[in-house]
Amino acid sequence: MPSAAEVAWLIPVLPLLGAVITGLGLISFNRTVNRLRKPVAVLLISCVGAAAVLSYAVLAEQLAGAPPTEVLFTWASAGNFSLPMGFRVDALAAVMLALVTTIALLVMVYSDGYMAHDKGYVRFFTYLALFSSSMLGLVISPNLLEIYVFWELVGMCSYLLVGFWYDRDGAANAAQKAFVTNRVGDFGLLLGILGLFWATGSFDFETIGSGLQNAVSSGVVPGWAAVALCLFVFMGPMAKSAQFPLHVWLPDAMEGPTPISALIHAATMVAAGVFLVARLQPLYAPFPQVQATVAVIGAITLVLGASIALTQMDLKKGLAYSTVSQLGYMMLAMGCGAPVAGMFHLVTHAFFKAMLFLGSGSVIHAMEEVVGHEPVLAQDMRLMGGLRKHMPITASTFFIGCVAISGIPPLAGFWSKDEILGVAFGRFPLLWVAGFVTAGLTAFYMFRLYFLTFEGPFRGGDKAMAAQLLAAAGKGAPEHNDHGHHADHPHESGWQMAMPLVVLAVPSVLIGLLGVPWNSRFGLLLDPHEAIEAAQHFSWGEFLPLAGASVGISITGITVAVLAYALHKLDLGTAVAGRFPALNAFLANKWYLDAINDKLFVQGSRKLAKQVLDVDSKVVDGVVNLTGLLTLGSGEGLKYFNTGRAQFYALIVFGGVIALVVLFGSLG
Amino acid sequence: MAFPWLSASILFPIGAALLIPFVPDKGDGKTVRWFALVVALLTFLLTVGGYLNEYNPADPGLQLDEHIDWLPDLGLAWSVGADGLSMPLILLTSFITALAALAAWPVSFKPKLFYFLLLAMDGGQIAVFAVQDMLLFFLAWELELIPVYLLLAIWGGKKRQYAATKFILYTAGSSLFILLAALAMAFFGSSSGMPISFEYSALMDKGFPIGFQLLCYAGLLIAFGVKLPIVPLHTWLPDAHGEATAPVHMLLAGILLKMGGYALLRFNCQILPDAHAQFAPLLVVLGVINIIYAALTSFAQRNLKRKIAYSSISHMGFVLIGIGSFSALGSSGAMLQMISHGLIGASLFFLVGATYDRTHTLQLDEMGGVGQKMRKMFALWTVCSLASLALPGMSGFVSELMVFVGFATDDAYTLPFRIVIDGLAAVGVILTPVYLLSMLREIFYGKENVELASHSELVDAEPREIYVIGALLVPIIGIGLYPRLMTDTYSAAMEALVARNESAMKALTSPAGGSLIRQTALRAPMIPG
Repeated sequence: MPSAAEVAWLIPVLPLLGAVITGLGLISFNRTVNRLRKPVAVLLISCVGAAAVLSYAVLAEQLAGAPPTEVLFTWASAGNFSLPMGFRVDALAAVMLALVTTIALLVMVYSDGYMAHDKGYVRFFTYLALFSSSMLGLVISPNLLEIYVFWELVGMCSYLLVGFWYDRDGAANAAQKAFVTNRVGDFGLLLGILGLFWATGSFDFETIGSGLQNAVSSGVVPGWAAVALCLFVFMGPMAKSAQFPLHVWLPDAMEGPTPISALIHAATMVAAGVFLVARLQPLYAPFPQVQATVAVIGAITLVLGASIALTQMDLKKGLAYSTVSQLGYMMLAMGCGAPVAGMFHLVTHAFFKAMLFLGSGSVIHAMEEVVGHEPVLAQDMRLMGGLRKHMPITASTFFIGCVAISGIPPLAGFWSKDEILGVAFGRFPLLWVAGFVTAGLTAFYMFRLYFLTFEGPFRGGDKAMAAQLLAAAGKGAPEHNDHGHHADHPHESGWQMAMPLVVLAVPSVLIGLLGVPWNSRFGLLLDPHEAIEAAQHFSWGEFLPLAGASVGISITGITVAVLAYALHKLDLGTAVAGRFPALNAFLANKWYLDAINDKLFVQGSRKLAKQVLDVDSKVVDGVVNLTGLLTLGSGEGLKYFNTGRAQFYALIVFGGVIALVVLFGSLG
Repeated sequence: MAFPWLSASILFPIGAALLIPFVPDKGDGKTVRWFALVVALLTFLLTVGGYLNEYNPADPGLQLDEHIDWLPDLGLAWSVGADGLSMPLILLTSFITALAALAAWPVSFKPKLFYFLLLAMDGGQIAVFAVQDMLLFFLAWELELIPVYLLLAIWGGKKRQYAATKFILYTAGSSLFILLAALAMAFFGSSSGMPISFEYSALMDKGFPIGFQLLCYAGLLIAFGVKLPIVPLHTWLPDAHGEATAPVHMLLAGILLKMGGYALLRFNCQILPDAHAQFAPLLVVLGVINIIYAALTSFAQRNLKRKIAYSSISHMGFVLIGIGSFSALGSSGAMLQMISHGLIGASLFFLVGATYDRTHTLQLDEMGGVGQKMRKMFALWTVCSLASLALPGMSGFVSELMVFVGFATDDAYTLPFRIVIDGLAAVGVILTPVYLLSMLREIFYGKENVELASHSELVDAEPREIYVIGALLVPIIGIGLYPRLMTDTYSAAMEALVARNESAMKALTSPAGGSLIRQTALRAPMIPG
């Protein structure tokens, strides 16, 4: 019997098969297939479920100490040249496989409830399966080129899913923005891959790493060029993992259905950038400049995300900026040369952030019963409040998520974030300060979200506020609601939605214990050598002050949030926003990055394109038409064109040619 | 004697076309369209039959060759054959034409003439790729102009006369260069006793001096540059494409443009290698200009057909870069890009036609939100646009990637030149989704356009349309998943061609562009063992 690793290719192929079958069904028998909701859901969930089982088998093998498995075949070749493709299963891939399949499976179950009333239910599940397949393919890619292939495919799935509700302008714009921004990153990634291939003749991670070092030390490739190549490649992860300044697409991507925000834009796809940087450690490690750049970008991102999250009133946008900030932490870890710490945070974050997003989806779903299917209303916290009474499961799991992300021991976020702060303290003390302060901000904004949503009185009936929000979004009052009568207060969601929340709460609480610094099982799996060394050098004297400080600042953040939003002892509106209007505007306008982006790139490219088209039609084509006019003499010629007799021209040309040939023939 | 597969593939559709007047048809085209479809399918089967029975992909030389002397005094002969450069394009031609016949189903205006021209074109275009004699090539090249001209002038849109005339002036004018070059090359050395011959193989062996080669090369470059097209010789294309009906469109984008690329490979690279060594950097630079210039104009276009037409020009830029590279990978990429664009371009233009049948407008400003009424159409458009923007898993990605990698590792050029070219070409990677996705956005996304939605014709895709796109997607995705399905059919011939060009390039003493562009001392590729 083959080992699970040998048949690991089935893991992405199974969901793909499911997606292809339903996709073909949708295009050929649209109505029938659209009616087969439950059968399609069962089929696709079983495909992903089977992939999950296989993934856990692979993980179990890796835990038991199995060596990495790699299977390759020649995908394309020309001359002395061949591009291999295949799959590679090692500890890192196994962890990601298990993570992605678990969350994908839970999100699919959840979607059965969330999308129950949507006409695109079947299409949604098809996209979900397609995404799972692409993401799983990415994880087991053995080389940079194959990563690039799946990288683009997950980007495509994200495009399709963000734009899922294609009749909404916001969704349509966000989908396009997401794809194009990611292409900007891929532009760098592609050039970097090409350059690395030129320098090392390989796409394989380890060969590239050692090859580039050899090329630099032998002087074939200058040092600056090697650094430039590394940074070009890094542009890919910057876009995919929403790092400053290419993060702009992620908050907009929240226009997609909430299960997507949880799966793709919080737990899995956006982590692909971090994952790739972890894969590229052999490449980055010898270049301190590259590592410092990665760390600085990570640090800017984590501050940026957290600071913007402070002022968001949209529940999902708040969580989205929080994701940006947390991805910044992971990137900081990568820049500090601690991929295991970064990956650990990736895993813990995936669980609690998926839970938080699914929780927010549960809230939005419930709010829609009260305020209607208008995202401007259903997602705004000014219309929420007091939901804990109505939806206890959602509220308690959301609370667990807030505690976990705030870094309160022994929940998951504490261990992973603290590990990152620990390495940052050793490598870049200044960046540690950024991470440390942001930990406080994180605790504050998360509890702000919690209190505004779940505590206090319910504000859903506030018609004046609803009208004001609609006006601010530039929308008129909704003509009529889809379900006729609105409920007075929200209800807890059904079991399909509640169950994933409860399941995710378990790892959110416990999974951090796998990575305690004195005995990190997670580290042992990914990098046994370093983990043993770290465990030997562990001392409570070093650990406690740092950990204590971060717990301290988290508690400070929570306290401020409690004072401001639960006890109303502190009016932050006048105390901070009123006193520093510039700062408030800066944050509320998201550091003005969207405005700059729009002015410089969107308008700029439109203008440039317009000018080129003008040149094309006036100058280039103008010369052509002028020549045409001149050769034909005058308006007489034009008339000749328009009478339709011009087809004879072709015959004349052709006849002339024949005559010429005969002439030459008789001469020759 | 073996069955003359190629002659049959050329003559069968033309002969069948001549029978069309005798097809009993009431004038609504309902009988004749079946006739045309069957003939086109049989032609496709003939080409496939030739490929399966006689073609050996591992052989770089000429195969399936047939030679009948015609005017021996003049060196004129009916000489056809196929090597790796021709075979894939012959298959592409008969495949796309068969689908175009299916796409032409709703044609009801003068159907007999329409299908006559369609079938005549089929044979003419296969001849362009199959003939092995430059004069025959010229005749086939010219012969195929007349059906296109008439198809544009009779079935086109409002500005059809202007577009058709522009097309014929451009192409006929530029093809004079082909004739001149053909005559010059054929008669070269006849005073000193060399035989007069238009045969490719004879021309290859003549060993033209460099000055002569450069002159011929420049003339041919203009002729083929119009066809490909190369900016700034492209302005006939948006007009012609803008006015053509969907099936003609498929042929224009799917096959006609490839004639330019094929001819560049066949004549400029294969017969004039020394001049090619001088001219190659120019091709590369022109290729990059094509990519960026046409992508920008496409972005600004408000007319759907013209938008896609410009996107074709942009994609042809990769063909130029690939041809200009001295690497097997890059040249293979150019060939694959031609095939891939033939399939993808045909699919997009077919969809444009199908959409126009429903919306009766091509102006993007007058569309919007039609995705709700036409969901399948929306899906087909999305898939084909993604194919066009080189999404992995589809053929466009592989071909562009091969060009990128091939050029990046091409030791003939200096490193800075390679960086600049690959960098600028990669800008196209950003621009393509910008214009294609905003196009989708404007047609399908957002609020429904009330006026359009009230149209009774605004119905979803019918099975015939899904079938046409499906048939095109099979090879698109097949090549995308496993490119060797296609590359293996021509790689032997391409490698032989590139080896010839490489030795010509290495023999250069004073390359154009000097040390700025060319690597003088070639460095051995350092691929670690």
